[in-house]
Amino acid sequence: MKKIVIALAILLLFIAPWIVSAPFFVHLMIMVLLWTVLGASWNILGGFTGQVSFGHSAFLGAGAYTTMILYLKLGIAPWYGIPIGGLVAAFISLPIGFICFRLRGPYFALSTLAVAEIIRLVALNWESFTNGPVGLLITTLPHVTFRGRSIDWENKIPFYYIIAVIALAAIVATYFMSRTRLGAYSLAIREDIDSAEAIGINTVQTRVAALSLSAFFAGVAGGFYAMYLRYIDPDAVFSIALSVEMVFIAVVGGLTTVAGPLIGAIVLVTFGETFRQILLVGHLILYGFAMMLAIRYMPEGIWGKLRHWFGTRH
Amino acid sequence: MRTSSYSGRAQDSSSVMDTFIQSIVSGLLTGSLYAMIGVGLTVIFGVMRIINMAHGDMVMFGMYGAFLSVTFLGIDPFLSIIIWIPIAFLMGVFIYRFLLKNIVPAGELNTLLYTAGFSLFIANLVLLIATGNYRTIKLKYAIVPLRPFGISIPIPLAIAFGMAILITVALYWFLIRTDTGRAIRATSQEPEAAALMGVNVDRTATITFALGTALACAAGVLLAPSLYLYPTVGEILVAKCFVIVVLGGLGSVPGAIAGGLLLGVVESLGAVYVSVPYKDAIGFVIFLLVLLFRPSGLFGVGKS
Repeated sequence: MKKIVIALAILLLFIAPWIVSAPFFVHLMIMVLLWTVLGASWNILGGFTGQVSFGHSAFLGAGAYTTMILYLKLGIAPWYGIPIGGLVAAFISLPIGFICFRLRGPYFALSTLAVAEIIRLVALNWESFTNGPVGLLITTLPHVTFRGRSIDWENKIPFYYIIAVIALAAIVATYFMSRTRLGAYSLAIREDIDSAEAIGINTVQTRVAALSLSAFFAGVAGGFYAMYLRYIDPDAVFSIALSVEMVFIAVVGGLTTVAGPLIGAIVLVTFGETFRQILLVGHLILYGFAMMLAIRYMPEGIWGKLRHWFGTRH
Repeated sequence: MRTSSYSGRAQDSSSVMDTFIQSIVSGLLTGSLYAMIGVGLTVIFGVMRIINMAHGDMVMFGMYGAFLSVTFLGIDPFLSIIIWIPIAFLMGVFIYRFLLKNIVPAGELNTLLYTAGFSLFIANLVLLIATGNYRTIKLKYAIVPLRPFGISIPIPLAIAFGMAILITVALYWFLIRTDTGRAIRATSQEPEAAALMGVNVDRTATITFALGTALACAAGVLLAPSLYLYPTVGEILVAKCFVIVVLGGLGSVPGAIAGGLLLGVVESLGAVYVSVPYKDAIGFVIFLLVLLFRPSGLFGVGKS
């Protein structure tokens, strides 16, 4: 039964743009999946190890800038650039992890915020490399043929399939977290870090491993974001608000669950984008409100509350 | 932070010493306001053990309050502080009673996330109402700066400095001399013991939160004539505020005052001797270093 539901969900994921092909809906679905990846990325660290990061935009921005600069300056195509962006983000997460994981609880959260702000200021001021506040812009994406037809990048559907594959990978990675030793160690750290240390878990190594996996997906999402919007600047990809949005998607959806980030993204992004269509600004008002409601009445998140009805613990 | 009516650099002083003194003075002036915001955050942390992510938005509220007073009522922004302090105090009581009180027992991290949600909510509500346009307050007396001893001091910042000192001294007197102040300090040191000694912890928490909110809002009113106003200004202010309270040691009032002045001076010196664009980064680097090596603050008085 469960396998049928999962198979149907994956099938639906890949035929969805044929069912509803209006550009707004395709855009909406792309944004939902992009935020699923970001929520899942945050969940891998925040949900499993319990380390609240307010600096995940650092990894998103690193991925976005890597993909963009590789393409603009070296001519490396985005399908290499996007995974390389993820690897660069994972790589920069290592020193950040070794520094910030010396701190606990709210102090860790504040230190990640400070690191992300420092990286934003560097990106803003290192003009020869990042083009500073002006940002980076691409006009054309490379010519690609797929099964003999050339892909039309003006259409949103190719982007949909790319992000669908990335989102599937992020959800599979979360499932992997919930089934493997890394995940079990992480949960032990979340419950009680001193006890975890006492029974011989290397807590720094485990947290750094979770962080780099998390950063990889944030970086990949960043690379996709840069290619999809074709324009990035430091305030757009390194902002505190972006980090906070990732937290909210993961928490509202349901921490440590596999489907939580997807549910959180469906709910928040759908409402947010619809709001944006009507009023242009202030769609984050809904995110803030949803977060307050979730912490007050549903700290386990939407999926955390609903999953028992579906008889699953993921 | 963008500053509109003054720049940290001395424009016409030629000697090295003058530049140095000028940047120290500018730093202390801005630092006094940072200190006020920091004291608000630190007393709230001391009593309730919560890190209020929405603290910067209370400053933003004060800034818009001053802007409204000038634009619609024609009241001088510095005079309007008399209206905004009580309003902010009541707002603080309301926020604590109806929004925060039930969340605080759920733990530090849940409260952190909750106040982050609240912060995003208020900032975007203001964005919706006031739009994202940058606004400034133009004052007639703000055009020519004071020039004692060849140092240039913008008048709005000088007034703000004086009022910040008055308010901080008044607060200090309140904390040291009054019964409520003693109750706040006792709760901050040892909540259980304070409760056993007959301190009404709930009432103390309400007053503390309202006091912190009023301080942030008052600092916002005083800052408004010297800064650009925009709805998400709280985001950067709250980040600076963390730097300040961690420098001084979380929970320590004298620490927050020293931390605020120190951050002001460091930023101002950094703008002159390192680089203007990186002045904000210097604060964050110091913040990380202090968190890692002196988690109880530079002066070792806070609680780590």
